[in-house]
Amino acid sequence: MTNIVEARFLVKRYGDFTALDGVDLSIPSGSISGLIGPNGAGKTTTMKALVGLCDVEGELEVAGRDPRSARHKLMEEVCFIADVGILPKWLKVAQVLEFVSAVHPKFVRERAEKFLSTTEIPSNKRIKDLSKGMVTQLHLAIVMAIDVRLLVLDEPTLGLDIIYRKEFYDRLLNEYYDGDRTIIISTHQVEEIETLLSHLVFIKNGRITLDSSMNNLADRYFEVVVDPDKLTAADTLEPIYTRELLGRKTYMFEDVPLQHLEPLGEVLTPTVADLFVAKMKEDHHGG
Amino acid sequence: MVVNQFGQFGALLKREIIENRNLFISTPALLAVIFFVFSIWVVSFVPSAEIATGIEYLSVLFDGLSPLQMAPVFLLPAVPFIVTLYICAIIYLINSLYQDRKDASVLFWQSMPVSNLQTVISKVVTICAIAPVFYVAILFVLHLLAVAMLVALGLTYNVQVAGLGYMFMASVLSLLLIYLSAITTALWSLPSIGWLLLFSAFARKTPILWAVGVFILLGFLEDFVFGSQYLANWVESRSNPQQYMFFEFTDVVERLFSYDMLFGVVVGSILISGAISMRRFID
Repeated sequence: MTNIVEARFLVKRYGDFTALDGVDLSIPSGSISGLIGPNGAGKTTTMKALVGLCDVEGELEVAGRDPRSARHKLMEEVCFIADVGILPKWLKVAQVLEFVSAVHPKFVRERAEKFLSTTEIPSNKRIKDLSKGMVTQLHLAIVMAIDVRLLVLDEPTLGLDIIYRKEFYDRLLNEYYDGDRTIIISTHQVEEIETLLSHLVFIKNGRITLDSSMNNLADRYFEVVVDPDKLTAADTLEPIYTRELLGRKTYMFEDVPLQHLEPLGEVLTPTVADLFVAKMKEDHHGG
Repeated sequence: MVVNQFGQFGALLKREIIENRNLFISTPALLAVIFFVFSIWVVSFVPSAEIATGIEYLSVLFDGLSPLQMAPVFLLPAVPFIVTLYICAIIYLINSLYQDRKDASVLFWQSMPVSNLQTVISKVVTICAIAPVFYVAILFVLHLLAVAMLVALGLTYNVQVAGLGYMFMASVLSLLLIYLSAITTALWSLPSIGWLLLFSAFARKTPILWAVGVFILLGFLEDFVFGSQYLANWVESRSNPQQYMFFEFTDVVERLFSYDMLFGVVVGSILISGAISMRRFID
């Protein structure tokens, strides 16, 4: 499988603050990839770098182009939704559609209008008069009517209620994703998208701490509810995270063969949320 | 879906007009209403004998003149509109690459396959050639009302001010002069346009303070370091309306392609290029 995004040692500094501290990233074509990290981890900076909105050092190729020098050409192949309501508030709904159809060669206006007909968004209203949920629906309607190779979604459902959030991902998956397109979603709410993902990336303090297909995760990460008399043996295998669960110590291991773990206690497959917590706290607990 | 370069550029211009409809349409329209109502109010206070004298005076003034020779008279009511257009142009330019960064909609505009060159050029074209069209169109309506008023007053006092067709032609010619002046003023002022765009693209806050402040600072530094006032003198040497406005159709080509005009265009283009590259990355 080829990669639609290849990034090597991306660095971005804002004064003394290092937002990206050597990010390596490979996103396979056709995947639904999640870029997961806490607030301030570097998600938005990474996403902006992918679409040429932020100058970064390092090697970067998206859909065969360098976003830093060919943003407007790249945007024929890539769509982007940011974490804030970014549609211009003074435009009317119909005017946004008119604008996009005039400037975007891959926009099919009828498709957007069909999508909007299933919502309660009036075409003669200005965007400032729509609710946040409606603005996101409108942006999704536009993006889903553009036939691109890569969709970059930076915390697209931030601040929306659960109904809009669920509908957003349902429509994206059922009406847009076709197996050929690639979708990258950044969020700090891991549980919301974990069932959608085929590829997972964790970012923390501007560094990638995990970059793996979902299929590989089950072979690389195990959680063991360690028998009390095996704690010392478990410690020698260098768990990346330990916690107490119902009075028993639970250790998480990375790249430790299963046959070494099975004698220690009950072996479980960690959820993405558990793995996320473990990787985010890795420095503080063992590892 | 076929998208061509002209369609794309047209959409960018349309965007500017919709976004800035208050500066380009509402403001001159309101000014025209105020102007018209004020004129009617003034006329209603003037004794009829004086109105008759005034009409008589105009008829003598216009007597034997061609529409082209009458046109300068029609330029007079345009003065407040031209001043307003200047003020609106400054407000427009200083916000044009700042406002969308402030409200984050720049992320939407930048997510479209439109280059920064196209975006910035669309703003330059808007202020040089599109905004004046609205001002001229509104002035044309005002002229038509004025002509109708002159004819009505002429009939009342039994004086023929001038031929109706002549006055109409004079209005059109004066508006052509105004439009031509608007474009030449914009070209002449391209260094100022580029300067404002540069700081509109650069400043994180209060771009107007940056634009004015840096200019004053540069002038001060030049004076302090070199003891000269070349920058201030250069600006002053280019501030005479005779240099950039047309009051009659003479020397159009010579003035458009004069050394001073072209030098300003070059300086302005360099500053506009700076704004384009500043626009590249929005963080």
